[in-house]
Amino acid sequence: MDQPLHLAVIAAAAWAAGTLAWVWLGVRGFGRRVLLAPPAGDPAAGVRYAFTAAMLPWAKESVRMHLPSYATGIVFHLGTFAAFGLLAATVAGFELPPALAPAGAIVMLAGAGAGLALLVKRIATPFLRGLSSPDDFMANLLTTSFGALAGATLLHPQLEPAWLVTAVVLLVYLPVGKIRHCVIFFSSRAYMGAFFGYRGTFPSARQGR
Amino acid sequence: MASLEERIDALTEAQLRHGLEVFRSKLRAAEAAYLNACVHCGLCADSCHYYRTEPALENVPARKLDHVAAAFKRHFTTAGRLVPRLVGARPFDRAMVRAWLDTVFGRCTLCGRCSLNCTIGIGLPRVFRAARAALAAMGLVPDDLQTTVDNSLVHGNNMAITKEDWVDTVQWLEEELQMETGDPGARIPLDKQGARVLFTVNPREPKFFPLSLQASAKVFWAAGEDWTLASDPGWDLTNYGLFNCNDEQAGRITQNLVDAMARLGCTTLVIGECGHGFGSARWEGPEWLQRRYPFELRSVLELMDDYLASGRIEVDPSRNPKPVTLHDPCNLVRHGGISEPQRRVLRRSVAHFVEMTPSREQSFCCGGGGGQLAMAAYKDRRIRAGGMKAQQIRATGAEIVVAPCHNCIDQLMELNKEYMLGIQVKTVAEMVAEALVTAGPSPSEGKTTA
Repeated sequence: MDQPLHLAVIAAAAWAAGTLAWVWLGVRGFGRRVLLAPPAGDPAAGVRYAFTAAMLPWAKESVRMHLPSYATGIVFHLGTFAAFGLLAATVAGFELPPALAPAGAIVMLAGAGAGLALLVKRIATPFLRGLSSPDDFMANLLTTSFGALAGATLLHPQLEPAWLVTAVVLLVYLPVGKIRHCVIFFSSRAYMGAFFGYRGTFPSARQGR
Repeated sequence: MASLEERIDALTEAQLRHGLEVFRSKLRAAEAAYLNACVHCGLCADSCHYYRTEPALENVPARKLDHVAAAFKRHFTTAGRLVPRLVGARPFDRAMVRAWLDTVFGRCTLCGRCSLNCTIGIGLPRVFRAARAALAAMGLVPDDLQTTVDNSLVHGNNMAITKEDWVDTVQWLEEELQMETGDPGARIPLDKQGARVLFTVNPREPKFFPLSLQASAKVFWAAGEDWTLASDPGWDLTNYGLFNCNDEQAGRITQNLVDAMARLGCTTLVIGECGHGFGSARWEGPEWLQRRYPFELRSVLELMDDYLASGRIEVDPSRNPKPVTLHDPCNLVRHGGISEPQRRVLRRSVAHFVEMTPSREQSFCCGGGGGQLAMAAYKDRRIRAGGMKAQQIRATGAEIVVAPCHNCIDQLMELNKEYMLGIQVKTVAEMVAEALVTAGPSPSEGKTTA
C-alpha cells in the first residue's frame, strides 16, 4: 500500500469512480419521463428480461449472426474483469495463491488476445473502420494492454510496475471515452428493458407469455 | 416554398440554437444514457433493413446514432467540449443538420429493431424522435410529410376527405353491408350517442379500401356490438405527428379523438388496424396531452380476439383455405405490445397459418414506417429497404399476407409489384369477415349488445 505506484492506482481509481459518478449523475440529471399511458406490462420484468434472456443467442439475432464476435467480446470482458480483480487484490496487498496464477494468466491473456482480435476486426472491416473515432482505438489499446500486462505479471512479477502504470493511464482515461459504458451500459439496458416491459413487449411472447 | 436544401442554407445561428434547445428539451435520462453508450461494436448493422438491403456505412444504426450523438457530445458533455476529436464530437451546424435530415428522416423508419439487437440496448428511435423534433422546430420536416400533418390539423383527417364524402361513403357501405348480410337492419352507425365503442379508421379505408371498413362493420354486426363512427373530426385514427415529431401538433390531432369520445359519450375508443395509429393513440397521446384519458382504449384486434374467445362470433377457417402469413407492424407489435390477439384470431379464422421468420418483436419493418410512405424523396430507399420483408414473405410460401396496418398494406402492395411476390394483402378483419358463420337469427335482431 505504501508503494508510490499503488497510491497512484488508488488516486486514479478515485478519479475514475468520481468522474463516472459525475457522468452517471449527469445522465440522471436529464430527468425521468413521467408516463401517463397506462402500462400494458411490468417494467421491472422488462428490465430483468433485458439483462438475462434478451442477451442470449436465441433471443438476439445480432448475437446469433455474429457468434465469434460475441464470444470474443465475452472473453475480452472476462479477461478485463479478472485483471481489475487482480489489480484490486494487488493494491490491497493480497497475493494470488501461486497455484491459481497460471489459470489467472490464461484468462487475462486470452482476454487481451480477444481485445487484439477485436481491434484487428475494427481495422480490417471497412464499415467498422468508418464508424470508429480515435477513442475506439485508444480504449481498446489501453484495455488490451492492461489485460495483457496483468496476465504477464502473474507469470513474470518483475513486470508489475509496467502493468500498474498502464492501469493508472487506463483509469484516468476511463471516464473520458467509451469505456464509460462500464456504467452507462447498465443504465441504457435498464431503460430499454423498462420501456419494452411497460409496453408489454418484454418478456418476449416467445418465452410463453 | 423553398426546398429543404435552400432552407438549410438559410438557417441562422439563432435557428440552429433553437433547434439544439428543442433537441435538448426532448431528452430525458434514458435518451442521455443512450447518447453516451454506443461502443461502435457494429453488431447492430445486420438488424437494420436499410443496411441488409444496402450494406453502406450510412445505413449502420450506430453510424446513424453517431450523427446525433456527435452533436450531443459536443454541446452537452465535458469530454466532447474538451477533446472533441478524440470522442467524435462535432458542432451542430448546417453540415450536421444535413446529416440529421438524411439520417433520421431518410434512413430510418423508427422501427426499433436495432434496439433489441444492440449490445448495450440503445433505444435509437427515442433519440431520433428528439432529432426529428429539432428539425421540425427549424422548419425542416419534408414537405409531403408535413402536408399530411397539416391535413389532419385543418380537415380532421390526413387525406383531407370532406365530411360529405366521408358520410356518403359510410352510407354506401351500410347499404353494401345490408346486401352482403341479407339483414336490412345491419347498420354502420354514425354519431350514435352513448354507443359503447367509438371505432376509428385510417382515411385510406374510405378513400381506397372501403371493403376493409365494411369487413370491420360486418364483424361488429355479427358480434352485435354497440358501436359508432364519428362524422366530425375524431374518426381518423392516424397521427403523423408521431413522425414529424412536433408534439404540439400531435397533441392537437390526438385531441380530435378525445373530443369525439366526449361528444358521443362513448366508453371505449377502438383503434382500427393501424400500427402508428395505435402507437400514437395508445402510448404517445397521453404524453402529448399531458393527461390520462377518461376512457378505455383498445385495438380492434383485441376486440375481435375477445369476440372469438367469448363465442360472440363464430368462424369457419375452411372459408380461408389459402396459406396465410402475418406481418407484424412495428408500432403495433414491437413498440405497441400487441402481438398475440391477431395470432389467436388468425389461427381460428384461416386454415393454414404460417409465421414469418423472424416474427413478433423481432420482425423486420416493411419499410413503410416512420412516415416513409409520406416522403417521396426517399421512395427508392423505401422500396429497396422493403426487400427484407419481401424475402420474409416469399420464404413463407403464403398467398395472403395479413397486415393489421394500412400504412404497411400500402407498402406491402408496392413490394408485391416490385418484387413480384404474387400475394394478396388483407387486414385481419377481412379474414374474419370472410370466415364468419352467421346462421340463425340475423345478428341485428338476435344478439344483445355488451
